[in-house]
Amino acid sequence: MLKITDLHAKVGEKTILKGLSLTVNAGEVHAIMGPNGSGKSTLSYVLAGREGYQVTSGSVLYQGKDLLGLAPEERAREGVFLAFQYPVEIPGVSNKYFLKAAYNALRKHRGEPEMDAGAFLKFVKEKAKMVEMDPAFLNRSVNEGFSGGEKKRNEILQMAVLEPKLALLDETDSGLDIDALKIVAGGINKLRDPKRAVVLVTHYQRLLDYIVPDFVHVLSGGRIVKSGGKELALQLEKEGYGWIEAEKAAA
Amino acid sequence: MTATLNPTDRFAALFESEKARLPGGGVRWLAQARAAALEAFQKQGLPHARFEGWRHTPARVLTGMDFTSAERPVARGGYGGKALCPVTFHRVVVHNGRVQPNGEGSVYGELPKGVSVLSLADALRDDPESLKTALSRGVSFDGLPFAALASALFADGVVVRIARHVRLDKPLNVLYVSDDSAAAKPQMTHLRALVLLEDGASAEIVTESVGGGRAPFWTNLLTQASLGEGASLKHYRLQRESASGLQTAATLVEVGRSARYESHAFNFGGALVRHDLRVRLAGEGADCALNGLALVRGEEIVDHHTVVEHAAVGGTTRELYKAVLDERGRFVFDGLVDVRPGAQKTDASVYNKNLLLSEDADVHTNPEFKILADDVSCKHGGAIGQLSSESMFYLRSRGIGASDARRMLVYAFGSEMIERVGLEPLKEALTAALHARMPEAAEEAAK
Repeated sequence: MLKITDLHAKVGEKTILKGLSLTVNAGEVHAIMGPNGSGKSTLSYVLAGREGYQVTSGSVLYQGKDLLGLAPEERAREGVFLAFQYPVEIPGVSNKYFLKAAYNALRKHRGEPEMDAGAFLKFVKEKAKMVEMDPAFLNRSVNEGFSGGEKKRNEILQMAVLEPKLALLDETDSGLDIDALKIVAGGINKLRDPKRAVVLVTHYQRLLDYIVPDFVHVLSGGRIVKSGGKELALQLEKEGYGWIEAEKAAA
Repeated sequence: MTATLNPTDRFAALFESEKARLPGGGVRWLAQARAAALEAFQKQGLPHARFEGWRHTPARVLTGMDFTSAERPVARGGYGGKALCPVTFHRVVVHNGRVQPNGEGSVYGELPKGVSVLSLADALRDDPESLKTALSRGVSFDGLPFAALASALFADGVVVRIARHVRLDKPLNVLYVSDDSAAAKPQMTHLRALVLLEDGASAEIVTESVGGGRAPFWTNLLTQASLGEGASLKHYRLQRESASGLQTAATLVEVGRSARYESHAFNFGGALVRHDLRVRLAGEGADCALNGLALVRGEEIVDHHTVVEHAAVGGTTRELYKAVLDERGRFVFDGLVDVRPGAQKTDASVYNKNLLLSEDADVHTNPEFKILADDVSCKHGGAIGQLSSESMFYLRSRGIGASDARRMLVYAFGSEMIERVGLEPLKEALTAALHARMPEAAEEAAK
């Protein structure tokens, strides 16, 4: 599904990703862990197509296509979804309207007829129930005045509506209390499917108690320095990142 | 007009030649009032680059043109299709400066008892004395040369009177329509409107201006409103001139004790639009809310100058004007709140927020307070911003195309002002008008 090869990327003049390679197949859940500043968020933004993140070399193939050649909206319509670490507040645009516009853009891309307002409302209310979100939030402006946990839940709601093939979750667990974390993890687990893939970018192991990954990777200095199974996450939790840095230095 | 005279003198010459034919020509007090207004105009002259209040607004767009008094339009009728207001409202049509009689485009025959709506020209013909107090009252035209000119030259207008504790049952739509006459030359019309609400009276008035035609058309309008104790006026002002249309409008409002004046100004086009709004909160606990939304593009210029005078204790002002600027549009905002000595417990806020969609557009904003009382709460602010790239990316990352995302964000910026409109059918029409005026340049850039 996703094949990243020797990816180098910079933000402004600063090179952040320095030869990152990663392969994600359908049905898999990958966790990418790493210390602050290792390039986790940069990787998410590069994959979603944010302006200002410049790829200098390497390639990213998504379903066999060059992902980097697509505009952000085209990536989304092809099934790539990024749950933001800091979801953006958009005053004046209702959550409902925003979700409907996104959903219908997707349907249009697939050659399906747009869903009308009534049918969509019913559809989205079901999804809201899944993330235990009060339907009143649908009428509020996108993320405006939402608490940290509500914003993250709203990301998961969007994901549930758009049903992406490849979900990238950037520090979705940060700032969540244990109840919110369970709800968010539940939403992500419901998406697990042999045809989909999930990449969790996280600093802590905590989320992985609820979403058990197939693979864990350690990102450090802009590249993946170690890969393993879910037990790697536990080891990182216990021993921190220091030993990997030391291993890397020794190599 | 004679070309050899300077523009200010040309208007004086016009006044001399037309004054006998203007409405109420034989009425002495009115002739004196018109002459005094002309003098006030001549003293100030036409605005120019160094004229106070006109530094950022090129008056030459207007003063450099030679206008003749508007003549009959080539065609009349079809007003229902021109108005944003639904046909269910009461309606007075003023076409090329002439009030259309009831039944001939205007529909205001079925008014509640205690409400009167008249053509100003008719009222001056039939019962001039009834207007003596309102029209001969001294007005300060300081900084308002065009209002002085309208007061001298007005050929018609509208008079609305609402008696004590009477409520106007449905909104009144005053529709100013401008069109080419047979000659298709630059035309002008000078108009005056009076809105008099007695104690406890209430009304919703929607003033609309709609420009047709190709030749420049200049509408110069002076509106005076007075609100008695506890009265309430919701005043919607929707302005849609043609691309070569010009409008100068001065609105002077006197708000009595515990009365409330609410203004909603929407600007959707015109070569030059200048609005002066002066509100005097004269009685204790008087209240005003001034709202504005301007969509400015091409070479258009929209200029709002507002002054709120807090002359009594416990007055409230809530003011917010927004503008969206595209291409080479220009927006000027000058909002002064003048708190007079003794106007304690004044509570006022003045904000202006602007969204720039093009690097060639410009904004001059000046929210300001003059405070001569010590127990007051006053806040003001001006902001100029661009579409947030963060928001754009967020929307696009969900599959929404760049041009739709831009439209959504521009709409979100403007819709706050439409949300404040209390009239549901008008809200819908304004939403449609906002969509119709969406930034074309931004769409082009996205392709």
